[in-house]
Amino acid sequence: MASRALAHCMRSVARASARLNHGNVLTRSACAPLASDQRALSVLSCGQRTRWTDLVRISGPSVHLCRHYGDLPPLTLENIKERVMYVLKLYDKINPDKLQTSSHFMKDLGLDSLDQVEIIMAMEDEFGFEIPDAEAEKLMTPEEIVQYIADKKDVYE
Amino acid sequence: MAVSRLPPAALSFKQFLQRQKVLGIYRDLLRTIRKIPLESNRRYLRDWAREEFKRNKSETDQDVIRMMITQANNHLEDLRKSLSLAGC
Repeated sequence: MASRALAHCMRSVARASARLNHGNVLTRSACAPLASDQRALSVLSCGQRTRWTDLVRISGPSVHLCRHYGDLPPLTLENIKERVMYVLKLYDKINPDKLQTSSHFMKDLGLDSLDQVEIIMAMEDEFGFEIPDAEAEKLMTPEEIVQYIADKKDVYE
Repeated sequence: MAVSRLPPAALSFKQFLQRQKVLGIYRDLLRTIRKIPLESNRRYLRDWAREEFKRNKSETDQDVIRMMITQANNHLEDLRKSLSLAGC
């Protein structure tokens, strides 16, 4: 009997939260612990319902869908450029002050081909996909790297 | 006159191929080192590889380079075998 009442309270809370607030992860995660606690008192859960809907109502207008379903946030040209420059700044052989998107690794920054291989490896690690040898050796400026990654990842702008 | 930082011009065809081979081996080595589980071991081997390649960077004798390429390949094979034996 108590468990049926509990289940009913749970379902109405879930329905209320779903109606008011489609994407709010907060309420969903708030629902989850209660779902796992089978022994909770029905009185307690029904009492909490009003408090939750209040909470839900307050945060209603600022909700937006933010579910990624395990995917990464979408790439933009700006984002790619930032990440590329960040990785380059971390590289110990590059002087971060002299670094620009158009600086040539060998001509402007004084690196050699072994360093360039290391840099492209670091980019592979950062973006999570492999760059074949033939194309890797042609990438000589940060701008080219950004263009290449945008090509491979289908980022249009 | 501006100082040119271009890599030495006019490598012969064989030298060009050798250069590509060396870079390919360096890349394969780095890729294999990536699979090593412990970060400290990874770093040590990366530094070792870097040192080895940098030290011999200015070698010009083709036969010596060929010998070093063979050595590097042997190291790479050893590393791969150890990794597969260790189950990575």
